[in-house]
Amino acid sequence: MNRFVKVNGINMHFAEKTPSFTDNGASRPPPVILFLHGFPELWYTWRHQMVALSSLGYRTIAPDLRGYGDTEAPESADAYTSLHVVGDLIGLIDAVVGDREKVFVVGHDWGAIIAWHLCLLRPDRVKALVNMSVVFEPWNLKRKPISMFKSFYGDDYYICRFQVSQEWGFYILQEYGEIEAEFAKVGTERVLLEMLTYRNTGPILLPKGKSYDDPVSLPSWLTEYDVKYYVSKYEKSGFTGPVNYYRNMDRVTINFCFARCRTWEMMGAFSNAQVKVPVKFIIGDKDLTYHIPGTKKYIHEGRFKSHVPLLDKVVVIKGVGHFLHEERPDEISKHIHDYFLTF
Amino acid sequence: MTSEVREKKIKTNGIWLNVAEKGDEGEPLVLLLHGFPETWFSWRHQIDFLSSHGYHVVAPDLRGYADSDSPPTHESYTVSHLVADVIGLLDHYGTAQAFVAGHDWGAIIGWSLCLFRPDRVKGFVSLSVPYSPRDPNLKPSDLFKSFGDGLYITQFQEPGRAEAAFAKHDCLTVMKKFLLTTRSDFWVAPPNTEIIDDLEVPSTLPDWITEEEIQVYADKFQKSGFTGPLNYYRAMDLNWEILAPWQGYKIVIPTKFIAGDKDIGNEGANGTIKYVKGEMFKSIVPNLEVVVIEDGHHFIQQEMSERVSQEILSFFNKLRNITE
Repeated sequence: MNRFVKVNGINMHFAEKTPSFTDNGASRPPPVILFLHGFPELWYTWRHQMVALSSLGYRTIAPDLRGYGDTEAPESADAYTSLHVVGDLIGLIDAVVGDREKVFVVGHDWGAIIAWHLCLLRPDRVKALVNMSVVFEPWNLKRKPISMFKSFYGDDYYICRFQVSQEWGFYILQEYGEIEAEFAKVGTERVLLEMLTYRNTGPILLPKGKSYDDPVSLPSWLTEYDVKYYVSKYEKSGFTGPVNYYRNMDRVTINFCFARCRTWEMMGAFSNAQVKVPVKFIIGDKDLTYHIPGTKKYIHEGRFKSHVPLLDKVVVIKGVGHFLHEERPDEISKHIHDYFLTF
Repeated sequence: MTSEVREKKIKTNGIWLNVAEKGDEGEPLVLLLHGFPETWFSWRHQIDFLSSHGYHVVAPDLRGYADSDSPPTHESYTVSHLVADVIGLLDHYGTAQAFVAGHDWGAIIGWSLCLFRPDRVKGFVSLSVPYSPRDPNLKPSDLFKSFGDGLYITQFQEPGRAEAAFAKHDCLTVMKKFLLTTRSDFWVAPPNTEIIDDLEVPSTLPDWITEEEIQVYADKFQKSGFTGPLNYYRAMDLNWEILAPWQGYKIVIPTKFIAGDKDIGNEGANGTIKYVKGEMFKSIVPNLEVVVIEDGHHFIQQEMSERVSQEILSFFNKLRNITE
């Protein structure tokens, strides 16, 4: 079911699939799962989980996040901080579930980052979390994510290429749009295919002038219909909204005279904060995020748990890449249900 | 009186804050957050009193003020920045949970701390400024429009405007206009009048402050200017935007609210005192005590220093299960 609701100043689109039966005729409402998609996706990425879990008695809700799909996309990158996006989600839960209600949350990729931040800002609204692909990294004043990625992977690393492209000396000129223009040249379908079919464990590099002429073959889990759906939505709403999330990862100052207020700034209040929500974390061993330097050690040698003390379980699925919930939908649905059942 | 107050610079959240400190470092920490346009000096009575009653007292010059760093643009003065500054201070002292008291903008920071990091606050005393429910459809600048251009907050928005108006007076006069005010309206100036010109300096000083003490403030603002402090007001719409995650949130921290019945905004039927005694405030701050001090004005912790000190002490002691 496709629905729209006005929250936090934007019109938000979400998909909803409710259980087809009532739980033993008991009058208590079904538990709610809020699904948070990543980049470059949409609510649609959760279609398999929504079918599976609603048939197991959950009310499943999957929004297009701010900037994506049929949800409104404010123009300025300033409007894509975690506080804005979490504000949307609190508004959504309030409007659609109830303003004292807690929900289960499932997140992947950027949705996982938003889920971590939702747990930091409003742990009182989250019953438990199944998060995928992206670990929780507490804010660190000394760590500037973009510089870090630059040092690992160079300027062509996709996250670096998404950042501001022009600073003209003394003039306060911020020109976003370079990567969007390049995407437009390559074509929406090709851009999406490149991202969605990416199976390399190495970093995504987007050198300027790279050719995108080689044919892309669809993996078994991605149909022509799926691709058409993504393409139709991205052709309509574009990449600026989604890319704006990346533009909030680091501090933005130009010449010290001009500062923007980004997620990086605002999460300073959460330095040393732990995620105090029960969590199950799932990642594929072919996921490029699993291969970011330091990540395996971080996950398996205790630091992840020190920041997420209620990290109940870490699951590494062999032979599975970044879009694990689409590659192995039944397995992931089972992981989700098995975990939430314990609450 | 303040001879044993230690001042030092602490790096927090990427900036240097000047911090006044007194009391035994082994004792529970009380964090005192001043308002506009003040400095840690506004807490001088409470610093002495609380430190001699078993507390380690820490009172910073907030971001933008006096001897602390002053980032140039208002985007660096959101409550998220201010809360991060405070968290950095608590981390510096290794304090897991602090007692916090805030006045005016310091109270707003305290409320925000209760939203962002309730895990770091044991109890909170708010002076003058209560917590109000966020209206998801009305941003501050739109609300203020209804008061017209004469409203001080509106006049503080445009970069440079209030600075230029203040500069027409010497700093000592500016400080007297603020500190000695007895106005309890919402501070709306008549048409074509800047609020600083509309505020009056009384002919004699009240008994709770001396010329020398006012000069302490004047010297600091002479050096650091008013842009930093005014930037707090310029970030109000931005604050409203970023507080969306706490839409409808109830403050869970035990809280005491203290204000004078002649504070700013208490004139007329719909003033602050009516609000804080009402159902709405209690419903969003369920663990709440309200103290209204008769004949108290805005700068209450200076004007009624003994009473405010006692109220703060008894509240924090109660939370520690200590009785007199």
